[in-house]
Amino acid sequence: MLRSRTLPPPPVADIGNRRLVALTLVTLAAVAAYALLHPLLPHGWRTPGTPLLYLTGVAGALLLLVPAAFSWAKRTGRGGSPRRWFLAHIGTGFLGVVLVAVHGAGRLGRPPALLYLALLGLIAVGVWARVRIARGMSATFGSRHPAFFTPRSAATERLRALLDEKRRLLARLDLGAREATFSPTLGHWLRRPRLSFAYARLAREESRLIGTRQAAPLAEAWWRRLHLALGVVFFAGLIAHVVTVTFFAGYVAAGRAISWWHLAEW
Amino acid sequence: MGRLALMIDLERCTGCKSCEVACKQEHGLGPGAYRNRVVWLGEPGRPGLDFLTVTCQQCERPACLRACPVNPKAIAKDEATGVVRVAESRCTGCGECVLACPYGAMGYDPALHRAVKCDLCADRRAAGRGPACAAVCPGRAIRFGERDPLLAEARAEGRRPVEHDPFLLDPATVYLDRLARGAGPAAATPVPLAPPERRAPAVSDGALGRAPFAAQAVRPPYQVAREARQPDRILPGGCTFCFNCCTTMVHLQGDRVVQITGNEDDPVLGGRVCPKSQLGVQLHGNPHRLTTPLKRVGKRGAGRFEPISWEQALGEIAERLGAVRETWGPEALGIFAGTRTGVITKQGYIRLFGQLWGTPNVEGTDPFCATGKTIAYELVQGRVGSGNSYTPGDLGSAALYLFIGDNQAETRPVYFGMINDWRLRNGARMVVVDPRRTVTAGKADRWLPIRPGTDLALGLAMLHHIFAQGLHDEPFCRANVLGWERWRAFIAERGYTPEWAAPITDLPAAEMRALAEEVARAEGCVIFASRGINQHTNAVQTNRVLMALAAVTGNWGRRGGAFFNMTAGLPIAPDAPPERQRTPQQPKVRRNPTGWTEAMLHGRPYPLKALIACNNPMSNWPGQAEARRAFAALELLVHIELFPNETSAHADYVLPAATGIEQGDIGRSNDDRRVVWVDKMIEPPGEARGDAWIWVELARRFGFEDVLPERYKDPAVFWDEVLTRNPQLRGCTQRRLHSVPYRWVRIPVAAEDAPEQETLYLEGTTAFGAGPGRRFPTPSGKLEFWSEAQEAMFRAVGLSALPEFYSEREQLVDLPHVAFTEDDAAQGTLSPFHKTPTASSPARLVAAAPDGPGAKLRARGYDLELVTGRPPAPHFHSWTHYLWQAQEMWPDLYAQIHPDRARALGIADGDLVRVATAHGAIEARAWLNAGLRPTTVFVPIGWGERQPYHPWRSVNFLTDKTQRDPVSDQTNLKTLLCRVSRA
Repeated sequence: MLRSRTLPPPPVADIGNRRLVALTLVTLAAVAAYALLHPLLPHGWRTPGTPLLYLTGVAGALLLLVPAAFSWAKRTGRGGSPRRWFLAHIGTGFLGVVLVAVHGAGRLGRPPALLYLALLGLIAVGVWARVRIARGMSATFGSRHPAFFTPRSAATERLRALLDEKRRLLARLDLGAREATFSPTLGHWLRRPRLSFAYARLAREESRLIGTRQAAPLAEAWWRRLHLALGVVFFAGLIAHVVTVTFFAGYVAAGRAISWWHLAEW
Repeated sequence: MGRLALMIDLERCTGCKSCEVACKQEHGLGPGAYRNRVVWLGEPGRPGLDFLTVTCQQCERPACLRACPVNPKAIAKDEATGVVRVAESRCTGCGECVLACPYGAMGYDPALHRAVKCDLCADRRAAGRGPACAAVCPGRAIRFGERDPLLAEARAEGRRPVEHDPFLLDPATVYLDRLARGAGPAAATPVPLAPPERRAPAVSDGALGRAPFAAQAVRPPYQVAREARQPDRILPGGCTFCFNCCTTMVHLQGDRVVQITGNEDDPVLGGRVCPKSQLGVQLHGNPHRLTTPLKRVGKRGAGRFEPISWEQALGEIAERLGAVRETWGPEALGIFAGTRTGVITKQGYIRLFGQLWGTPNVEGTDPFCATGKTIAYELVQGRVGSGNSYTPGDLGSAALYLFIGDNQAETRPVYFGMINDWRLRNGARMVVVDPRRTVTAGKADRWLPIRPGTDLALGLAMLHHIFAQGLHDEPFCRANVLGWERWRAFIAERGYTPEWAAPITDLPAAEMRALAEEVARAEGCVIFASRGINQHTNAVQTNRVLMALAAVTGNWGRRGGAFFNMTAGLPIAPDAPPERQRTPQQPKVRRNPTGWTEAMLHGRPYPLKALIACNNPMSNWPGQAEARRAFAALELLVHIELFPNETSAHADYVLPAATGIEQGDIGRSNDDRRVVWVDKMIEPPGEARGDAWIWVELARRFGFEDVLPERYKDPAVFWDEVLTRNPQLRGCTQRRLHSVPYRWVRIPVAAEDAPEQETLYLEGTTAFGAGPGRRFPTPSGKLEFWSEAQEAMFRAVGLSALPEFYSEREQLVDLPHVAFTEDDAAQGTLSPFHKTPTASSPARLVAAAPDGPGAKLRARGYDLELVTGRPPAPHFHSWTHYLWQAQEMWPDLYAQIHPDRARALGIADGDLVRVATAHGAIEARAWLNAGLRPTTVFVPIGWGERQPYHPWRSVNFLTDKTQRDPVSDQTNLKTLLCRVSRA
């Protein structure tokens, strides 16, 4: 009576909304606790640039490299399960935020505070997407029924021409690939950036003609791009911060003692 | 292998959403996660209602796949079959694929955060089976296979695939377009899958509706990995929800139900199954189930209880019942059982208990639904129910299907799926008479939007035309119909012509004449009627007239010709030994339980002090305001139920009951005379017990164990030892039921080895149990429409056995109606229409008058016709409102209103509105639907104010207990004047 079945491998468990919200609250509570206790803490724990806070910053930055590594792993197929990387990017991201907050010692009036704002924005967008925008995405199913009633039109002909162009371009970008299932990978971008860019432009044009992103609610359509943009801003800022404090320590110290590792002569 | 695809036939789809339920079970999907979804699409300006099954199109150029940013992609396409799959282990839930799909056919699980999509049930295919949706579809609207052969099949059937590839994605999924309909002013308009202005009603499933589903509501088998929901055994069973009585396969893992599917071994249903049967999964392990006996500790309605033991509960109940009997007599106990209670309990255990106890006041929900047709069948045919079967050779061979007041597509979706399939295969016609363009009407060749409550006039006009034109089957009438000439003369004398009926029914006379001719000339016409006919004060007479329509046209006792009124009835009526029966000293207060409220409130005509309620009377009794006052006056209210509801909140004791597979039961009485046996498969939750157990235990406390002994706690034993004593069930033993893999036997069967009969009452046959030569089981052996004896019976309640027209008292035009000459507080007279002594209020016909009750209400602004009835297929009464997926599909109570009227009232689709009658008011969400008479408002039954997800007041705050049929005591629930405003 029993059916035999081929069971697919179980997916890696999701963190779940409740745990994600709880993690967010714990993170915020940790940052708030540090801010509240800040005046009572020993000098080494409340002064930017002390060895302790310097090391905290280094640890936070290293943790925050994991989300960047997630992005890399996801796009290259290296490093194992993307879902595991995704969970890691959440965990390290939250811990990194706490460490960076401690590292900054509550000095919000200085340029590096902008990095911290970007970091908070990243978290806010990510959590919001997971908890709320996900509902909207699920409600998308079955909501585009006019697509079933839409006759072919001039837009269809434009699409046809565009597809021809895509196929011609693809023959130069990746000879073995099929347009039906192809999109440029990181490898393509690194090896043939110009062609990849051209292909991506055509794909964007196709998407525009189909019109799904424009028709979607703003948050659903753009949250991910905003998340990515904030990520890029943060990492660019992080690099600038590291370069500045390492190579321009005097400028950063502004006359105070320099207590962190730096290169004074280069 | 070629490219695989689904072919979805929009002419066959009835929007029941069975495929959605099957899909979520098969793949363990929780709220908001879809691989398929049936979207109901209405059009603001046209009476169109259509359904679109949205599922992955398995595109040749899948936009979702290209949009996936993961490398290698988390979405893959099988080049051999064309099937596009999500690799869930790689998906990070970014949602780019959801954005990319222009068909909105990419699902997203908002709880587990990953893309989900149809892969044509890859794991089932690996096991040699097809997709779950196609397997269960009641209408066979979903076919699965290689795309090219499917297209060839469609072409061979003369069907046209819908062109839906404006994006050049080359979708594999095939949609077959609707068929054009017949011409004429009232014809159902062609509904091509074209107008983009179609939209889903705001009251259908949406993200907001899912908000109340807390994590605790969604339990395994949903949102768990497949390996965690693998069954260790699969047993044949049956659904005990509704009157379609589907056969099922119950997939069990230990004591947990992990899936319910259709039984593909069933030779009639063939695995078709409606959404409710499958939703049975959510009955078990449901967090809202009552699991322990409760005793009220707060005031009535406060909902404060303490858990107690069964011993204490039953002991105290017995003690208090004994005190009631001592003080007020045995008749002071009322027992009210409903569909939840199950047929064996209601008609078996409770009946015996009532006889032993000595109360006549034992009743079910029949007087709200079906006593009109029951009495009409008994009078005309001598036995309840049609003798025909849902087989290709019988109902499948009809040339015309005429539905009058029967929305079969939503109330018995699988049966309708079969009828609709036969219609399409055989080129049969379908006509629907209904104030609403129901799902059933949406499939018909013609829809006649009749004024509610006037089907009697339509039937009379059709008979008049048939007789006047000599279109009746005279040889059949002479041989088989008693009283037809008397009816012919009466109808002619009264002048019940189509012209007479036109202003009454609001239908053109020409339409009625055409329909009459079509019925008379069809080579086999099946007339379906149901609650739209039954739930009126003229229920018996309308049923008799429609039966006459079938009889005089020879559509009775033949294959492909029949009169059907929902369910064939089950001959379960055991009697305690005469010496053990305690004969009541009083007749039943009234047949209709709402006629008991005076007895409960004021002790008139005699006191009714205690009530054992086995479903939810504080939602389903018409005239809730009065009913609730009456319940508050009871000395003892015991409630036996699965879920807490309004009645349990007011009860003194709440006893947790069991479902069919937790106790053993049969399915409901259904159209097809099938008795479906359901084995006990699992234990009830917590301390819950089967109804049989409860009644046997209660009986023991009163010394009734000689008639209801301990072993009858097992319904299977009770069935074989007691219920199969009925000659019609004698051959329907446990052994025979278990000898077939689908667990049903079509009755009557006189012996275990007696063959089942496909069609009863055929020419030249003798009716089961009737005297020699009697084709029908009536005293005369003929179909009886008039006799001296019948005339005397009708005279006793103030009417005639001749079909005199009357309608409801609350109408938009003034029509004759009935009025009781006494109210329920009076002793009344003994009704000749009921099998046990039952009091009824005498009535008289009141002629139409310009200052009648309808006119007075209209002057007060009640200018719309309220019709109540069943909501779409996933819901049945209140049970399903405790199941998250039924609530996800249809969350809110709604009031359907015509867009023109809504516009005039400033009401938009989805607005909160107040619906008021002269009897009460409720709130609901507006559903603007052009498929209604412009003056009709429809509000469905089943919602209650203590339901867990989307509580609303019951529609029965709008209904009136005093509007009842003098013959059957049936309540009018279909024609009440109302007004609607924005809340």
